[in-house]
Amino acid sequence: MKTIIKIGLSLCISLFFISCEDDSFAVPTASVTVNQQEFAINETMVIHFTGIAQQVSIYTGDDMHNYDLRAESNTGFVVNKGLFTYSYRASGQYKVVCVASTYSDNAAETRQDTCSFVVTVTDDVTEIDKLSCSQVVYDEVFADKYPNDEWLMVLPRKVKYSTSSLAISLSAQRLKFYIQSDSTEILVDGNPYASNTRYNLTNPVDIQVTSNYGTVRPYKLYTIYYPEFETFTLAGVAGTVVRTEFDYSYFEVELTLPQGTDATNLSPEFTLFSTADQVYIGDTEQQSGSSVVDFTQAVSYRIVSTSPDNPAMQAESTVNIKLTYQ
Amino acid sequence: MHKSLFNIILIVGCSLVIFSGCDNFLDKEVLGESTDKNYYDTKYKLQTALNAGYDILQSDLFNECEWRFGEATADDVWGGDEGLASQMGQLVNFRFTTSNSWIADRYTINYKGIHRVNQVIANVDKVQLSLPLYGEYRSVREILGQAKFLRAFYYFNLVKTYGGVPIRPETETVENFVIPRSSAAEVYAYIEKDLREAAIMLPARYTGVNAGKVSSGTAIAYLMKVLMYQATPGERSSKWEEMKRLGEFFIDGNSMTYGDILHYDASQEDWEALRQRLWFKPQELNQPTDPYETKDTQLPALQNAYSLDFQDSYGMNITYLDQFTGAGEFCRGSVFEVVFKESADGSFGDTNEGSSVYDNHYSSSPQIWTTQTIMQDLFGTDPRRTYMIGHNAYAPDGTICVCGESRSVSLKWYTPIKERPQNGGDNGKNRRVMRYAEVVLMYAEALNECGESTRALVELNKTKAKANTITGATTLYVGGGYGYMRDQIWKERRMELCYEWDRFFDLVRQKRAASVIRAYGFLRANKRGYYFREGVHEVFPIPQNEIDISNGVVEQNPGY
Repeated sequence: MKTIIKIGLSLCISLFFISCEDDSFAVPTASVTVNQQEFAINETMVIHFTGIAQQVSIYTGDDMHNYDLRAESNTGFVVNKGLFTYSYRASGQYKVVCVASTYSDNAAETRQDTCSFVVTVTDDVTEIDKLSCSQVVYDEVFADKYPNDEWLMVLPRKVKYSTSSLAISLSAQRLKFYIQSDSTEILVDGNPYASNTRYNLTNPVDIQVTSNYGTVRPYKLYTIYYPEFETFTLAGVAGTVVRTEFDYSYFEVELTLPQGTDATNLSPEFTLFSTADQVYIGDTEQQSGSSVVDFTQAVSYRIVSTSPDNPAMQAESTVNIKLTYQ
Repeated sequence: MHKSLFNIILIVGCSLVIFSGCDNFLDKEVLGESTDKNYYDTKYKLQTALNAGYDILQSDLFNECEWRFGEATADDVWGGDEGLASQMGQLVNFRFTTSNSWIADRYTINYKGIHRVNQVIANVDKVQLSLPLYGEYRSVREILGQAKFLRAFYYFNLVKTYGGVPIRPETETVENFVIPRSSAAEVYAYIEKDLREAAIMLPARYTGVNAGKVSSGTAIAYLMKVLMYQATPGERSSKWEEMKRLGEFFIDGNSMTYGDILHYDASQEDWEALRQRLWFKPQELNQPTDPYETKDTQLPALQNAYSLDFQDSYGMNITYLDQFTGAGEFCRGSVFEVVFKESADGSFGDTNEGSSVYDNHYSSSPQIWTTQTIMQDLFGTDPRRTYMIGHNAYAPDGTICVCGESRSVSLKWYTPIKERPQNGGDNGKNRRVMRYAEVVLMYAEALNECGESTRALVELNKTKAKANTITGATTLYVGGGYGYMRDQIWKERRMELCYEWDRFFDLVRQKRAASVIRAYGFLRANKRGYYFREGVHEVFPIPQNEIDISNGVVEQNPGY
């Protein structure tokens, strides 16, 4: 009987120690799977935690999430249900660190295990979404996109602002590029682009966009003025060109003719700022001093300006004639 | 008889009696109990179901999500909860995971609203009218119209926050719990359809005891906004064109027919079938004195229903600031309000009161404060600057603002002394969600986008001129090219509508959220906003839990 009691006591003591051991906390194991290790900008990285831990955090390796700088306020993301997704906004190589932690009751003691891998993020964006002259007086004027990476900027010769008309120069304009990536490099006529530089747009401008990955994409920017009459004379009376602050492609020429003037068959004399500009009423081309027009009806001129460097680049204005009689 | 045998016979016999009896008992219907099959048999019960749809708007969680996403994430405020240890801090820093609790909450609360109004829409045809009177049909129609508006409103919240989302069936069954996401364009089309139909089903504006119900004016104002969110600034589109036409109807008083606003196509749906679906009285039941609505029927005019004038619902003059106080509830400039009601019982918690809304924005411990930038750089000499109030400054009724040293808050969330509840938790002041000033500014923007900048300037200066009357100022906006006009309209939107919880979504639809929010991040010591990633953070992620429980049928947004 005594032997049985002794054996029983031994078993109880053994059980006691074994159960005490169970109260201690597990050893963490950090291991993860990742969907791929090369990503584009904003492409999703999916990490599944496959190890053992009570708490998992992941340092993505980019700005403010660098594991090596964790003592300097860099932080990781807490992983929920073993799944973590992320994407990068800048290209580079990033060390992703997974920290698996376990802790004892009341977190009096913690254990950690880490694993890491490197991901490569490439940025190959070369697309210009929008291009503008950002400071045409107070206006931002956008260029039009044409095939073959060509852009056409059309600017007004003058901008009416409040009570004044301010001249606009093609030779000193700020440019603004709308490109998805922050990492692209832009050269304007071979020089690095700066947002506060005023560029000479008189001649076609060569723009070169280089992605962070290294892809080079050339663009060409043509700039012309909205065409308008420099002078417009009818029956010896000089007209006044009136512009609107809202629409740079619309003009009115105001003329006051002597009472009794026969306006049915008049040949206006006009000059244009560029010899390449062409004047139409409807589809009929008009010649200064020779084309006959009936001004008793509403007359609307259409002026087309063509870039001397590329005939596909055209701008068009509308000029309405407003006649009054003395 | 042997004792055991007797016991066996007794047990078997009793069991047979009990089980056979249970069978019949279970087959019986419980009398007098409301179920989803028999509940919606009167318009009064349908109204109670609609009330449940409105109830979400009053909930703390709904409003918490409104300002956290619409205001706190953008550049006009900074908050006391911006540390990366909290879910809110991660949200405003754009350093959250797909499991962020606020992202899940906003998703859930808006679907809760959708689920409630879907029950109104799905069950409306169970209503039995006691008499086939025109007014009876109209009553049911107006309940259905409001439900359609609310559904559109909740989906609009979802689509602008998450992009395309699952469109839930009107009747939910256990077989269709998992619904894949629709595209953003499909969700917008669904929203538009509800708003267009609500516009013809509802009166121009409710007044008196019905004030606060959404109306045709509310539906058309939101239709303009939904169109604006689909359009891209600088790109001509039919969305801008229709916004312009709606503005001409709403503000200028041009006519518009039912067919116009519905984009009615007879090849898609017979007119009479459409009328009956929307609870217009069927033609065969019409009495000679009953009106009969056709596709050429004119929409109720809105031109005189709303105004930029500072006037209450009785037409009495109020101040600019009263547009946001109890005195200005349902005022001439108010298009949509969340109606809170003071219980006067001193209770705190998620009731019909808006105390937490106001405490979070104007109290001794608000959640967010205005930035100094907006006060100094944006407002300049504009009279509306005085409605930002600093610590220890005096509110218009003489109370001292205590919001923290060197901090400022907006008086739009101030409750004047005379309107304060006796008990702190009972604030019944309504929250303004859409104001007429926004309708005018949307119209101005649409005109500018359609190349009619001259008219755009006129509309733009209407709100500015009205604000000028506060101090007698005379400064107005001046004309300019497209880009200049657009910038001025956006500036006026920011000034007039600031702290009304729409800034973040406004920046996103203007396609400049990344540049503005990141620039703001550089100004803040904690760089909040700097981590905004263009092409990703314009929409928030679908909550991870939704992805998980759908086994991947619901797909995540790109970049998350």
